[in-house]
Amino acid sequence: MLTNEDLAALLARVALADRAAFEQVYRATCAHLLGVAFRILNNRERAEEVLQEAFMNVWHSAGGFNASVAGPMTWLINIVRNKAIDALRSGKTGRASTFALDDEALAVAADEAQQPQALLDQSLTKLKITGCMGELGASQRQALALAYYRGMAHAEIAEALGAPLGTAKAWVRRGLDKLKACLELAGVRQDPPT
Amino acid sequence: MNTLLPERLDRLAREYALGTLAGPARRRFERLLRQTPAAMLAVGAWQERLAGLASAVPAMQPGESVWRGLERRLFISSPRAAPAPARPLQWLWGLLSVRALGGALAGVFLCALLLRLQPGLIGMEPQRDALPESYVGLLTDAEGKPTVLASSKRHGKRMTVKLLQPVVIPAGSVAQLWALPKDGSAAFPVGVVPGSGSATVDLADTSEKLFFNVSRLAVSIEAAPAKTGDAPSGAFILSGHCVKLW
Repeated sequence: MLTNEDLAALLARVALADRAAFEQVYRATCAHLLGVAFRILNNRERAEEVLQEAFMNVWHSAGGFNASVAGPMTWLINIVRNKAIDALRSGKTGRASTFALDDEALAVAADEAQQPQALLDQSLTKLKITGCMGELGASQRQALALAYYRGMAHAEIAEALGAPLGTAKAWVRRGLDKLKACLELAGVRQDPPT
Repeated sequence: MNTLLPERLDRLAREYALGTLAGPARRRFERLLRQTPAAMLAVGAWQERLAGLASAVPAMQPGESVWRGLERRLFISSPRAAPAPARPLQWLWGLLSVRALGGALAGVFLCALLLRLQPGLIGMEPQRDALPESYVGLLTDAEGKPTVLASSKRHGKRMTVKLLQPVVIPAGSVAQLWALPKDGSAAFPVGVVPGSGSATVDLADTSEKLFFNVSRLAVSIEAAPAKTGDAPSGAFILSGHCVKLW
């Protein structure tokens, strides 16, 4: 497993058109990143397309990676999430909730542990902020989970949770505020990595 | 849109990072992001906060076709994306075998040329047009073809490297630039140069401190970027004089 430092060093070499470093970055991160894209798109083929597009970006813009803004894994996740969200909203792929599912997506849908709410709970446990985030209402946590894992915009969250748009926006906002406060309370590093 | 209040900037940054900022507003914010360091930092901070939420997402191994597609799109259909001659190693071995002959001669010739040009530049041009005080190196390949132009301002801490022709860097290797002191003491690493295009190399100190006693620059192929104290592991594929441009 590569450390963030290893990954940052490899990205610096990718910026110099080092193909071997590029392959190392890909091999080390592709499975995690495909998982992130798949949660949003709920379709393996689309997710793999997004992953490929994302790594095209990585090759061409590794020089723009700035470790003082965000860590290397964060940078990669962000490229993949943005591509997946763009693909989702451009209508090239079915909405997660419309369930035009392949077998793998069906398996995921059947697996309650992988639903957004469960993913959020597991992540919060890993971050050791379950108790603090537990002070949020269930709807607020759910809104945050749908936005992050499913790439839903406010209107879609409102529809999914059967709430007015303004309410959905407020839930997301409170979810984010709470996340920030809980991370700070837990002493999770908030400064950009050095 | 260019002068946002900090609270509004943070609100947009977190909505962008989360993904809930949608439609034209998302595009507008992306444009702002490219131009505004404060926006970039605000988004980066939110991305770091949110990145923890990805930790529980189950990994999914992509099919090998994804990697093969990347190789095809990046390295085969678009030769300009990276230097990719069909047989890089053979080219390299051919180069290494003749470099001792051609390299030295070519280096001397180009050095003489550069030194003859230099007084003209300084003496004849009006002062305001004079080039800044710099260290300049012109590295040639075994056949004497100018290959790397390296320059750094005398009191600067960055070196600009321009490839005048592509250099083949075997997969898994880097092209390491070395400085060779004129007193014959050990070469020390300067930085890594790309196979084509241009790059900026951050220097460990000012050029004046690093290169004052350096007479030559050279490039070798290394398995990884060299650290202070390392020595070149093999022959130099490029070399040339390092001169003071003032």
